[in-house]
Amino acid sequence: MGKPKILKLILKNFVSKPATLHYPLKEYRVIKFPYEHTLIEEDARGRHYADLTKCTGCSLCKLDCPADAIEMIPIPEGYEAPKINPRKIYPVVNYFRCVFCYRCVTICPVNAYITTSEYRLASPESIDSSQLSLSTLKKASGG
Amino acid sequence: MGAKKVIEVPYVVELPVGPQHPALHEPLLLKAYAEGEEIVKVEINTGYNHRGIEKLAERNNFYRNIFICGRVCGICNTVHANCYTRALEYLLGVEPNNRAKYLRVVAMEFERIHSHMLINAIMAEILGFDSLFMNMMLDRERIMKAKEILTGNRVIGDYMMVGGVRRDVDEVKRDKLIKLLKQLRPRVEYYKKLFIEDETILKRLVDTGLLSRVNATKYSFVGPVARGSNVRIDVRASDKYDAYGDIPWNVITYKEGDSWARMMVRWDETLEAIDMCIYALEHLPSDGNPVPDERRLPRKFPEGESYARVEAQRGELTYYVMSTGGVNPYRVKIRTPSFLNVIHSAILYPGYSIADLPVIFVSLDPCIACMERVAVVDVDEGRRRLVRLKDLAKGVY
Repeated sequence: MGKPKILKLILKNFVSKPATLHYPLKEYRVIKFPYEHTLIEEDARGRHYADLTKCTGCSLCKLDCPADAIEMIPIPEGYEAPKINPRKIYPVVNYFRCVFCYRCVTICPVNAYITTSEYRLASPESIDSSQLSLSTLKKASGG
Repeated sequence: MGAKKVIEVPYVVELPVGPQHPALHEPLLLKAYAEGEEIVKVEINTGYNHRGIEKLAERNNFYRNIFICGRVCGICNTVHANCYTRALEYLLGVEPNNRAKYLRVVAMEFERIHSHMLINAIMAEILGFDSLFMNMMLDRERIMKAKEILTGNRVIGDYMMVGGVRRDVDEVKRDKLIKLLKQLRPRVEYYKKLFIEDETILKRLVDTGLLSRVNATKYSFVGPVARGSNVRIDVRASDKYDAYGDIPWNVITYKEGDSWARMMVRWDETLEAIDMCIYALEHLPSDGNPVPDERRLPRKFPEGESYARVEAQRGELTYYVMSTGGVNPYRVKIRTPSFLNVIHSAILYPGYSIADLPVIFVSLDPCIACMERVAVVDVDEGRRRLVRLKDLAKGVY
């Protein structure tokens, strides 16, 4: 049996830097990495939420969501609901059900969705978009 | 009175491989009967992965189904979405512009590159060649990055829409994509050379799972499996859908018909796909916006039926869509290429050793999606037998 052809590549890999890194680590022994997580494109499809200053509560995103991840719920007390939203409801995206197809973003008649490239969703707090959406609204005075 | 005759029955071991098995990456039961080390018969049992996508499609509207059909299979999502979208376009009588057609081809060929690299890497892993597997997966990251730049996600593209694609590429992105493809090409050439020269690979793959040209057509094998047996079957060449008629490319065929030929077809197609993508990106037409306004597309579809087919990475994929003039389709029928390749693969295994079974199975590039057969249980006799759909339709069972 002859010499394995891949031997050169394997020997090269012995001396080169590791190609992957466990997520929370920033360095491997002495080699420091310039990043702490995989760099992704700025327009990659990540976590998205509705801008409630633009949302009219038309529910079209809920109707067209292929994963049934969007629920329309009333804007809670203590927030100033804008006048363009007569029914005072807003979409909440359940990120665990969401498949990130961005159909809601492209179908929205008023372009109300704010898109981010945040793909790291393992978090006990933001499991849906309600906090992010409500942060776009002003708190009612005295409420 | 002593015994006059001794009948020796050969000892046959029944060996279930799957549905949960370290060598198989898909839920499928291969019930192998082995005489010593030699396989004498293999029964293929499917139905572990039935998700009811076709029924789900009837309950959702036409546009939601584009994304549902894209999730029939993770590796070939863009071709599934493209096939369904083209069936809808035939219903509506819409045709996308040339730029959209070119971008669709680029997205689908990206998917072919990463799918073929994945199955070749898995083949290396099945052979026990893990360092090759890891190196291939590392180089596959380049094409995943390219797909992320083009579609916005690494695997599930969600790129197709009736009348075009869902996002355009600008000059910066186009240059990045061409650069990534040009970096990838020498790596693929290196791996192809490795598959031709390395003895470890050759000893396991050559003359394993021989499929003759006659059997390939007789049992309706499609895709790289048929092309590895010198059958020139490719929907891209026969239908010339989207921009496949404008871009120069060749149909790859090999004469050998063994597992090695199937893997080599995939390497050559990967190289061909890289060249096609570079050509398409360099000659990208600029005849208008390829991204349709999704809000202005018609909600209701006219009455009628349509049939579309694409060459997926594993072979011919067809969609049949029937509309009765409403918001939801009346029927969506999907026929996946793996159905043909896996159901009839029992003829490939006999005569080879047990260790060859995963190798032959992986060389078919299996993708177990919605595959089911009808089983009739005779309650009086307690027997269970399989019935062909043709007989079931006639009422003979």
